[in-house]
Amino acid sequence: MNAQVSRPAVIWAIIRKDLLEFSRERFFVVITAIGILFYGAAFWLLPSSVDESFTVGIRQTGMDDIFAAAMGGQSAGLAFVQFESVAALEAALGMGGAEPDEPLGIGLAFPDDFLQRVAAGQPSTVRVYVDANVPTELQRAMASFVREIAYALSGNPLPVADPGREVIVLGEDRVGDQVPFREKIRPLFAVLALVIETFALSSLVAAEIQARTVTAVLVSPSRVSDFLAAKGILGTGMAFAQAVLLLLIIGSFANQPLILLCALLLGAVLVTGFGLIAGSAGKDFIETLFYGMAFMIPLMIPAIAVLFPGTSATWVRVLPSYGLVQTVVQASAYNAGWPDVLPHLGTLLAWCLAAFAVGWFVLKRKVETL
Amino acid sequence: MSEEAIRVEGVSYAYGDVKAVDNVSFAVAQGEVLGFLGPNGAGKSTTIKLLTGQMRPQSGEIAILGMDVAKERDKIQGRIGVCFEEKNLYLNLSARENLNFFARLFGIADFDPMPLLRRVGLADRAGDRVKGFSKGMQQRLMVARCLMNTPDILFLDEPTDGLDPVSSQAIRRVIEEESARGAAILLTTHDMDEADKLSDRVAFINDGKIAVLDTPENLKLAHGQRTVRVRIREHGEVREQVVPLDAADTGDQLKAVVGAEGLLTIHTEEATLEAVFISLTGRGLQA
Repeated sequence: MNAQVSRPAVIWAIIRKDLLEFSRERFFVVITAIGILFYGAAFWLLPSSVDESFTVGIRQTGMDDIFAAAMGGQSAGLAFVQFESVAALEAALGMGGAEPDEPLGIGLAFPDDFLQRVAAGQPSTVRVYVDANVPTELQRAMASFVREIAYALSGNPLPVADPGREVIVLGEDRVGDQVPFREKIRPLFAVLALVIETFALSSLVAAEIQARTVTAVLVSPSRVSDFLAAKGILGTGMAFAQAVLLLLIIGSFANQPLILLCALLLGAVLVTGFGLIAGSAGKDFIETLFYGMAFMIPLMIPAIAVLFPGTSATWVRVLPSYGLVQTVVQASAYNAGWPDVLPHLGTLLAWCLAAFAVGWFVLKRKVETL
Repeated sequence: MSEEAIRVEGVSYAYGDVKAVDNVSFAVAQGEVLGFLGPNGAGKSTTIKLLTGQMRPQSGEIAILGMDVAKERDKIQGRIGVCFEEKNLYLNLSARENLNFFARLFGIADFDPMPLLRRVGLADRAGDRVKGFSKGMQQRLMVARCLMNTPDILFLDEPTDGLDPVSSQAIRRVIEEESARGAAILLTTHDMDEADKLSDRVAFINDGKIAVLDTPENLKLAHGQRTVRVRIREHGEVREQVVPLDAADTGDQLKAVVGAEGLLTIHTEEATLEAVFISLTGRGLQA
């Protein structure tokens, strides 16, 4: 007669068995390894900084003092390069046939008699070259810049007095410290690492149900709750470990590591809940894959939305992974503290509880009716 | 036969409006093999699920080893072994790993799978993954799995269905050994010959109800027909004649055929369980 078996021993036995099976599922092992390596490599290949400066090519004569003063007084962002001729300026702008290594975005060509004509009050035309990629506001700023020089040279005052101004930047002032694309994509990778586990876990659960091995487990001294606990712990652990590994590879724990770990753990619970649902609902591999995809796409949307400027739409903010993405973005990119991310973590926790409860219920129903 | 290992009293279970098990009662003593026979959909598998605690009866009571299966499931599970009709093994694990995993679920310390694997003829394949096993080898491993906790009761659901003669023989030998050890065995099968040889008693289940429950011998005597079949050559043609042994003029008929010229063969025929089943239920086992 066998000894009385403890619940933790049963749960651990199921986890050990699942890990052994997972290690022999070549498809998931390869996909997981390739995924982590690919995301890690792709991250480090992305630009690590944002080039906020524009170089302006200048062709002028007799206005060296004015431009020297302008160069000294400009804030970070604009640099002026002098050219000897209009042809040289146009060649630097990429208009001369041969493509320069680093073409200029903006060029200003002042006519040789610009000073004399302005001083005499006669009209003069300054040619402003702008690349199609230059933002519209900068194009307009260049035109204003030329106009200001003309006013300064002519000695005429500006038609309006220069108003005193106080600039208030809403949110954190990121001038000179823009978030690079690499930072923006970090939460997308974190969510991807977690979501991949939805497939792996749902596949493991579906295999147990479809092969009816779960019934063999449940006529032993193990209970439905042991089986569910083992799947939940394994799924959460695997998703969490992979997400942490990926974020370690892409060097994401420099800021607020505890907040990030907390967010990833909750994210792992979230995808485990969805994995249990997908694994229980699918009747075969294709159906399981379908349900996995059905959960994966909405989970990805908030992470993708971070790549685009502006505030996310309301419907994006109610998606389950929004709290996870916002926490990862704010903690890793902006070094936000607990007070800033707690509302997002709270929302994420609520979604975790809901997803895990539904996953638990669906799987329990499934194994009881086999 | 001694005390009861299984007692079922007025148990019913329905899937919606369909009664899978309808007011079934029976008992199995320790060391007894009860053959549970019936066509597909008769209620055999549902009965096993109810007895093994996979489902709860909607009415009636089930006692396993004197314990209520609904209330003392945890105590019962460690003392039973179940061999399912489906080959529900972990295909990516080896035979040894499959047994070791279930040994951990049963809390068996220092479990050595090799004696069990030797018993079912799989010792030389212990380290091979189960997905490379034939159907017969998988079934033998299933039998080994259900024996690992030295169970007091064995539930065997179609254990030899579709197997080669070697695998079937190996499993039948295990059933006999387990019965001799004192385990109560509930055996469902389509194979009437197997049931006849292995079972101490057989129950015919049809439409969720037990039609009859008795020893194979009694059933054949009570419901079957014993006959003598003779073949005689007459005028160049072979004629067959069947003489019932229970008829009033059996003696006269036998004298006539035995004395006939051209007698070729004489065979006595006993009733089969299948014939008894058909006569009792009006349907065959494969229906």
